[in-house]
Amino acid sequence: MKKVEHWSPADVSDWLHKEGMLEYLDDFSNIDGPALLKLNKVDFQKHPLSKVSSDGGEQLLERREALRIATQIEAQKNGHANGHVGGIPNGTSKPQRNGTLEGKDFKGEMIRISMPTMETARSSFPTEWGKTGIAFVYAIICFVTTTIVISVVHERVPSKEHTPPLPDKFFDLFDRVEWAFSICEINGMLLVGLWLIQWLLLKHRSIIGRRFFFIVGTLYLYRCITMYITTLPVPGMHFKCSPKLLGNWEAQMRRIMKMIAGGGLSITGSHTMCGDYLYSGHTVMLTLTFLFIKEYSPKRFWWYHWFCWTLSAVGIFCILLAHDHYTVDVVVAYFITTRLFWWYHTMANQQSLKETSQSNPFSRVWWYRLFQFFEENVHGTVPRSYQLPFSWRTLHWSRSVMYSRLDIQ
Amino acid sequence: MASGEHPDSGDCTVDHLHSGMEGAFIPSTVKTCPVHNPDSTRGFQKGINQHNDYVEIPVPESQVNLLPSEWWKTVIAFFYAAFNLVLTTIVITMVHERVPPKESYPPLPDKFFDYIDRVQWAFTVTEINGIVLLTIWLIQLLFFKYRSIVIRRFFFLIGTLYLYRCVTMYVTTLPVPGMHMNCAPKLQGDTQAKLQRVLRLISGGGLSMTNSHLLCGDFLYSGHTVMLTLTYLFIKEYSPRSFWWYHLLCWLLSAVGVVCILVAHEHYTVDVVVAYFITSRLFWWYHTMANLQTLKCSPNNYLTNTWWNPVFTLFERNVQTSVQCSYSWPITWPPSCLKSPCKTYSMVQSTRDE
Repeated sequence: MKKVEHWSPADVSDWLHKEGMLEYLDDFSNIDGPALLKLNKVDFQKHPLSKVSSDGGEQLLERREALRIATQIEAQKNGHANGHVGGIPNGTSKPQRNGTLEGKDFKGEMIRISMPTMETARSSFPTEWGKTGIAFVYAIICFVTTTIVISVVHERVPSKEHTPPLPDKFFDLFDRVEWAFSICEINGMLLVGLWLIQWLLLKHRSIIGRRFFFIVGTLYLYRCITMYITTLPVPGMHFKCSPKLLGNWEAQMRRIMKMIAGGGLSITGSHTMCGDYLYSGHTVMLTLTFLFIKEYSPKRFWWYHWFCWTLSAVGIFCILLAHDHYTVDVVVAYFITTRLFWWYHTMANQQSLKETSQSNPFSRVWWYRLFQFFEENVHGTVPRSYQLPFSWRTLHWSRSVMYSRLDIQ
Repeated sequence: MASGEHPDSGDCTVDHLHSGMEGAFIPSTVKTCPVHNPDSTRGFQKGINQHNDYVEIPVPESQVNLLPSEWWKTVIAFFYAAFNLVLTTIVITMVHERVPPKESYPPLPDKFFDYIDRVQWAFTVTEINGIVLLTIWLIQLLFFKYRSIVIRRFFFLIGTLYLYRCVTMYVTTLPVPGMHMNCAPKLQGDTQAKLQRVLRLISGGGLSMTNSHLLCGDFLYSGHTVMLTLTYLFIKEYSPRSFWWYHLLCWLLSAVGVVCILVAHEHYTVDVVVAYFITSRLFWWYHTMANLQTLKCSPNNYLTNTWWNPVFTLFERNVQTSVQCSYSWPITWPPSCLKSPCKTYSMVQSTRDE
């Protein structure tokens, strides 16, 4: 298709026929391409066009715009091919690495690899490390708050002589096994380790990391609330709770530091405080890491998913077997973790749920604004793609052909 | 319920049809309203000749009803809810046997109880509020147009919440929240007496006011909070948005009721908090799944990971749009039919070519 600038009046009337705007045929009989392009609304207000045009020329102007854009795109496409062939005058080209252009014959030494237009499309998955940083800080704050609350609650735990352990169905059926809690914690550490490695290999780690921190933070925040308002007694007489430090702030601070440093695990000896039963933080970590591992790994790795599921399930079972938590703690923790995870991910994957509206009941949760802040630039489901955390540019052990791009005007 | 296309006096038209079947066809010379006889071909043939008696009203093609009634699904939901309520009463009776005596197991430390002392009449306030809210909701439901769908949802949610409650009550038994609670004596092994207790609890609706709730142990989580929260959420969801004073009133009833549970030291704070959380989340989850049609076809819908998803699919499969807030009289009044019979139209099978 010729460019509009080169159109003759005959081309213009052909176009008018094609577009079905026959009323202009008479007046446009001596209008050619450039004149067509120069038309504007003012011309349609003057005689004679004001008489033939019923809409002030709007339709014609619109079609003309569409035509102009269409011809431009065509020209671009053709121009790329033309540029290789005849666009470079001989002798004025820059010295090329792979030999000079031999006019039209480019089949000799050059290989044409069609590159997509390098216009930077706005990425649907921008890595906004700032937001991930905020989520990380949020999670840290929630962890520290949890530790402080555990320390506070410890002071209020009724002594086990005063209030014996509550009746629990699981405890009636299964007696305590001493080493079970270590299994649970080892499983927990394994799962967290696996998740960490997997996270490092993900391509969109900033987005996924943000999600993990946010969900973990919120779960621990909820945990603070439930632990604080009602204090359950110790689930078993085997518990050794460290003595209460009434009012001794310094000692309490040290205790808090010790707990944070040990990650709240009994294995590291940092968890000697009692009272943090409803709901179980161990269950939260086991369940959440499994959900994240499963979500962000390829579907065909079913053996990997099964392995992690087994680790998680055995860990949770061992919590109960060790009589370290009541059954209701574990059940509530599982429920809240899975619901929050699925809720968040459904909201993140559906564009229609990211807007506050009457038909979106999900927008009524208290953390909705925070969620919008984190996920507003993420469009669509985050694909499961992998990438090494740092690029290994110097790895050239295979003598594969390397292609470099020629800058051709 | 009929879709919006049919005239509102739908039932009225049916009556008219039935009465018109035996009636003779009145010729047009008589200055009364023509009586249409849709099933008689004889009358129809006469009608061709006297077509000026017929008024042609273009009836659009009966499109698929976006909000079908399907009362049988509502009945299933009702049985589900009834089953769960009975199960809850049985579990309460069982758990009562295991509640530790309050002498050896004093009430657990609770933050709210530390600050606010017990007020004796507060629990009656809760129960009255609950009854009022439930009544308001039932009245609202009566006037709602798509009541079968909404009732189905209500029964399903109530049933599921009480089922969850069975689980949490059963696994771990909390001690009584206050020394004031009078628990009925334990009946070890006397199944007949237990059965009587169950029946008494059901007949009294589980309320203390009706003296049916003398059993202890059903603390985690609070059924009263569930009812108060759920009725409020339903009332708000299915009433016009402009009725803000109505919503505010119901919210106050609900909030005061919940606070009074705690003031009466009848439940631990964690019971109430967990109950509120589970109720609101389940309500919003269900309604998001039901209202957003895009979710139903989406592969990234994690909301289908719940165990009750098959039941949800059964109930909401044919509901293709969010339930509109429209009201109609629950029963059609016969007098409005007889007032102006001229204005009723019944559909004549028109197979003649236009």
